[in-house]
Amino acid sequence: MTVVGAMKGLSLVAVGALAGFGLAVAATHFAYGANIPGLRTESELNRFGLAFERVRDNYLSQPEDRQLVENAIGGMLSNLDAHSSYFDPQTFAAMETKAAGAYGGIGVVISLKDGDVKVVSVVPSTPAFRGDVEVGDELVAIDGVAMHGHSLDDVSSRMRGSVGTDVKLTLARAKLKNPIDISLTREAIEVERLTWHREGDVGYIKIVAFSDRTDPDLRKAVADLQRQIGPSLKGFVVDLRNNGGGVLQASIDVADDFLDSGEIVSVRGRSAQDMERYDAHPGDITGGKPLVVLINGGTASASEIVAGALQDHHRATILGSLSFGKGSVQTVMPLDNGAGGALHMTTARYYTPSGRSIQVTGIVPDVFVAGGPGAPEYEREAELPHHLEAEGPPAKPLGTPIEPAPGHAYVDFQLSMALSYLHKSLAVRDSEPSHA
Amino acid sequence: MKRFAFVGLGIVVGFIAALGLLPAAHGANDVSAYRQLDLFSDAFERVRANYVRPVDDSELINAAIEGMVSNLDPHSSYMDAKAFADMQIQTKGSFGGIGIQVTMENGLVKIISPIDNTPASKAGLKAGDYIAAINGVAVQGLNLDGAIDKMRGPEGSKITLTILRTTDKSTARKPFDVTLTRAVVAVDEVTWHKEGDVGYIRMPGFNENTASGLENAVRDLKRQIGPGLKGYILDLRNNPGGLLDQAVQVSDDMLNSGEVVSTRGRHPEDTQRYDAHAGDITDGKPVVVLVNGGTASASEIVAGALQDHRRATILGMTSFGKGSVQTIIPLGEGGGALRLTTARYYTPSGHSIQAEGIVPDIAVAEGDEDDIPRIARPSEADLPGHLQNADATHRTLPTIIRPPTSGTKPADFQLSYALDFLHGKVTAPPVKSAQAN
Repeated sequence: MTVVGAMKGLSLVAVGALAGFGLAVAATHFAYGANIPGLRTESELNRFGLAFERVRDNYLSQPEDRQLVENAIGGMLSNLDAHSSYFDPQTFAAMETKAAGAYGGIGVVISLKDGDVKVVSVVPSTPAFRGDVEVGDELVAIDGVAMHGHSLDDVSSRMRGSVGTDVKLTLARAKLKNPIDISLTREAIEVERLTWHREGDVGYIKIVAFSDRTDPDLRKAVADLQRQIGPSLKGFVVDLRNNGGGVLQASIDVADDFLDSGEIVSVRGRSAQDMERYDAHPGDITGGKPLVVLINGGTASASEIVAGALQDHHRATILGSLSFGKGSVQTVMPLDNGAGGALHMTTARYYTPSGRSIQVTGIVPDVFVAGGPGAPEYEREAELPHHLEAEGPPAKPLGTPIEPAPGHAYVDFQLSMALSYLHKSLAVRDSEPSHA
Repeated sequence: MKRFAFVGLGIVVGFIAALGLLPAAHGANDVSAYRQLDLFSDAFERVRANYVRPVDDSELINAAIEGMVSNLDPHSSYMDAKAFADMQIQTKGSFGGIGIQVTMENGLVKIISPIDNTPASKAGLKAGDYIAAINGVAVQGLNLDGAIDKMRGPEGSKITLTILRTTDKSTARKPFDVTLTRAVVAVDEVTWHKEGDVGYIRMPGFNENTASGLENAVRDLKRQIGPGLKGYILDLRNNPGGLLDQAVQVSDDMLNSGEVVSTRGRHPEDTQRYDAHAGDITDGKPVVVLVNGGTASASEIVAGALQDHRRATILGMTSFGKGSVQTIIPLGEGGGALRLTTARYYTPSGHSIQAEGIVPDIAVAEGDEDDIPRIARPSEADLPGHLQNADATHRTLPTIIRPPTSGTKPADFQLSYALDFLHGKVTAPPVKSAQAN
């Protein structure tokens, strides 16, 4: 499902707020019209110029030059891979002001299946909720632009915009014969905060997305659970299911909270010198208590960084189902100082401490536990059109999942298994993580 | 062939061939254009320099052009060199090949069906056969386009296919070779047969051979049926359109005079009017045109012209409603082509059917219309970003006649109703709205 943060203002840069990386790009000014023989790049740019001219001169109505170029840049970016897209100047400006709370959304979580955009959840008390958007609706168009085949990031960025502005959704609903149009006014949508509670002698922490507030919230949660449960505290369950990612630095800080030393993640760009390595600092806020991390097909990008680091360091047992498999990092590059919008482009891949890329392969859980009856099916990175290919050896096989026994009803089977695991009552066939 | 569907709703007005050099001829508003092109080349350079892996320049530019054009309206698009070549085959109406419809399955090419009277059907190739190798080269690893390219070739040339037949137990899944001689394979041919004393003509598309196909059909039906010929049924159901000049010629074949259609572009001087010439190849016999929601574009020009001139009775369901014209603009050698909306067309009464469609004179449902959800069979008005229409007729749809729910339903209810109409067993409801003015 790639829970893409349509409503999460902060997850904009879906995984990667890699500030500074690749930002210094010399603007190469192309001498338009000069056809230098032998320079293929020049002639390709000429071909674009020719197409631009033809559209300007011959289209049914006079098009806006600016609109043509924005659509061209959008087409170029979204064709690169499933996570690259173009933010037009309005969208980019709205993103810039999001810190001031002026950044709005409508409150839906979407997924892609065969190029169709589906609503997978509607956040209560948001414009989408009040406007009667329903789970299962297909998002046919936004502001009249057909969404079939667009990337998730692109669809999300079209739903976002300044608070108070309107967006028109065209929705197809199974029980209705014809698509319906719904106009919604964007509002500031609160990023869901981290939540926690005790499960007997185990501390349960749910991280929905990674933002600047995640690390301080996590510290508060751990301290509070330690206080509530006291010395009998058995361990922690960190729930990263359906966490679609967020700010890279936040995921590094979260992993660091549970690690004393060693690498957390490395990020590598196109050339060898574009490499950044992030290390853990001494100090484990849980005092080394056992840790289970819950993942599923909606666990993506920044969440996979945390799961991968804790798995490689044998710090946590990863329990649940195969994660999404987004191993790439996007950088936001403003054009013309933002007046020309910005490119949101995949510039790097990240690698777990053992050097593996989880692109497409995902994080294979140490204990494979099925979601139980009614668990949604997730579209994974491997199914996205134009996804980046996997690297390195294939991941170890997933094996057969632990399924709920027939006749037993569980509210949350994976969580129940995590608690059993921490209480050592779960016989695990393959408990030895095989990553060096 | 299946993969040609991309030209689907197309009207090709003609090729703009002369491509002058780039901007030279433009005036002051080029400052804006240059600034925008600077922005584009900046974006292009950044992608080239910083994307996670090196990307082919022409791939980037193709995607950019596609993004620029396809956001204009649902019918404007970019065709890369390969798609452009395929489109030319489609409009030409024939190519050198062996005559099979194929798909890709398990890494092999699977035959959906051999086309009648082609080298493939004569050689006994069957639906469900797999093609494992072409001229001894394994198909595995090729994509569908690559395999199709290898199977096409000049008329008279030979090709050897290695066939894996899993449907026939006796061959025990042992591959065998078949050598075929390529021939001209026609696409979307006009077909016809007599229905008693009525001539039935099916037109699946509009390519370079369509009007001559109609003329052959009428000639042959006259010969087959003789003087008792009651009239004709022209079946344009699910005909997505094609070449404009063929639509004009087909209409002209059944009209003696008057306007067939006019097209209007951005500038007043772009207006073109197409008139009928004297001579009706059907000798004024009654004509029923069958239409449905899949009748689009060039088909709607024919139906609209014959309806406005009251030359034919339009029977079926409201048509798709594509009232725009696309022009193919090549972008230089190997550069692909734009398929750009450049004009709207108007029926002789001066109306546009854009987003409205041809409203039939006799509304007859096939009965299966509701089996397919609306989203899977949209009309123009359902397409996001469709052009608006200020010149609609707003005709009201007559009461829909539906197939009987009990007893035996004819295999093709619309056709059988059309035959009943030509035989005077049923009559058309009175026309409510004013037509040609």
